[in-house]
Amino acid sequence: MAADWGFPSELEDVAGEVAIAGVGEADHTKASGRTTKEIGAQAIERALADAGLTPRDVDGIMYTPFDGQQFGADDYRAHFGTTHEMWVSTAGGGMVWAGSAPHEAALAIRTGRARTVVNVFSVAWATQRADMVGGPGEVHASELFKQNLEVPFGWFPQPVYFATIARRHMHEYGTTSAQLGAIAVACRRHANLTPAAVLHDKPLTLEQYLASPAICDPFRKEDCCLISDGGGAYVMTSVERARDLRPPVVQVAGVGVGNSRTRVYWSQQGDFTATPQVFAAPAACRMAGIVPADVDVLACYDPFTIVSLMQIEDMGFCAKGEGGRFVEGTALHFDGGRLPYNTHGGMLSHAYVLGIAHVVEIVRQLRGEAAAQVKDAEIGVYGGYTGPQASTLVLRRR
Amino acid sequence: MRFRSDFPLPDTDWPPTREFWAAAARGELAVPRCDACQRYVWYPDGTCRFCGSQSFTWTTVTGRGRLFSWSVVRRAFIPQLAADVPYVAGVVAIEEDPAVRLVTRIVDCDPASLRADTPVRVVFRPLRFAGVQGEVTAPMFVPCRNRPFGI
Ligand SMILES: [Zn+2]
Repeated sequence: MAADWGFPSELEDVAGEVAIAGVGEADHTKASGRTTKEIGAQAIERALADAGLTPRDVDGIMYTPFDGQQFGADDYRAHFGTTHEMWVSTAGGGMVWAGSAPHEAALAIRTGRARTVVNVFSVAWATQRADMVGGPGEVHASELFKQNLEVPFGWFPQPVYFATIARRHMHEYGTTSAQLGAIAVACRRHANLTPAAVLHDKPLTLEQYLASPAICDPFRKEDCCLISDGGGAYVMTSVERARDLRPPVVQVAGVGVGNSRTRVYWSQQGDFTATPQVFAAPAACRMAGIVPADVDVLACYDPFTIVSLMQIEDMGFCAKGEGGRFVEGTALHFDGGRLPYNTHGGMLSHAYVLGIAHVVEIVRQLRGEAAAQVKDAEIGVYGGYTGPQASTLVLRRR
Repeated sequence: MRFRSDFPLPDTDWPPTREFWAAAARGELAVPRCDACQRYVWYPDGTCRFCGSQSFTWTTVTGRGRLFSWSVVRRAFIPQLAADVPYVAGVVAIEEDPAVRLVTRIVDCDPASLRADTPVRVVFRPLRFAGVQGEVTAPMFVPCRNRPFGI
């Protein structure tokens, strides 16, 4: 029976129309004193250099308005000294939009509104943390139903929601702490191999994970993402034009978006232990003409270990409820695992830049340029998530 | 973002949830029920997500339910919770309609003995927070696992 607690967005087929032609990451650090816009500018500079483009070549910019601090068109002109008009979309940035932005960009490029589009996202949350009610938790505490029906009971911030989801997943499917730990350990190992990762020099074994005290049961701190300053950007253009640029061509093969009918109210979602990837991933795979078994490397938005586990299930890499057994041991490792996963370390161990670095990593994997390189990776997937929505982005080297 | 000075106490005057907190102050658990399709609708955002009606009646329920899931919170993520940790934040599915899940606290329990789907019943306790003036009576739940008839 089809799940009825959510639905896929209807998206036009854009398979094979655009490529990601340049990727860049800002420095990922602990509190750095930099502003969100400075970090965004650095990410774009690096993405342009990677593509071999000049600032004048970009005529479209995508970002998210969500914190009012993101690098936009006016910032672009001021920083790069350009004067040309730009196509602007606020359907970009990180999280779910790091996966769906290429669809929006493809439509803009198809209709001539832009030729070359940059999507950028950055945060300075490590720097700003001291001013906030709990870092990223502020967004949730500001929502009035949450403020009046959840926060007063201490069901807040996000680690507590997802610990509760993890507990229910354990009850329904027999998932164990050691299985969640296998995800944290795989991500940390990949971060240890990735020089730019915030936890590059901090190893983690499963024994250390299991010995770590619970902060909100069943979560240990190793189940939860970092807080860091950093950002990323990627440049999109037509596949035809990308063939004239320096990097190997990485095509956008499929995009899907799924939605939960209960929106940001996790506690009410019909299937409490699932994500809207249930609706996003099949649509993206259909557009790309692939099945999950074709995927060589996967990166999912991973604020918590359980969010990785649920997306791996919901995207169809294993049956629902089998995720715990699926991820055990070295199954997610880049070198011989059955599903190389978050090969840069993800938000748990690489950087908390909300998915933009995941897309950068998948592009590098498909070019053969990653630090923890998956052998002969040809098809890579990003899974984006915000709670109310999920996105699947299928990328393909050719 | 500026929060009210009594954050994280609920704003008992906020219209969408005013009846919930007023009922709790009387020692009752109330949930809005759609006048058109008779279903309980939670959260009370003004529109029935089953039939689209905007007419509701706040209805007192038994206060019996099942522990759907929970977390034992050991770190105070905000300073106002410093005196509360460790505490059990949980989600309870009400007996009248298990699709209605109330975010709540589980009290008077040994956290290590909690099991999913355990029968629970409502109790009314004051919410108080470190460094915050005032208190608000709130519905919380206790396990009734050892009672022979689940009540
Ligand atoms: Zn109704």
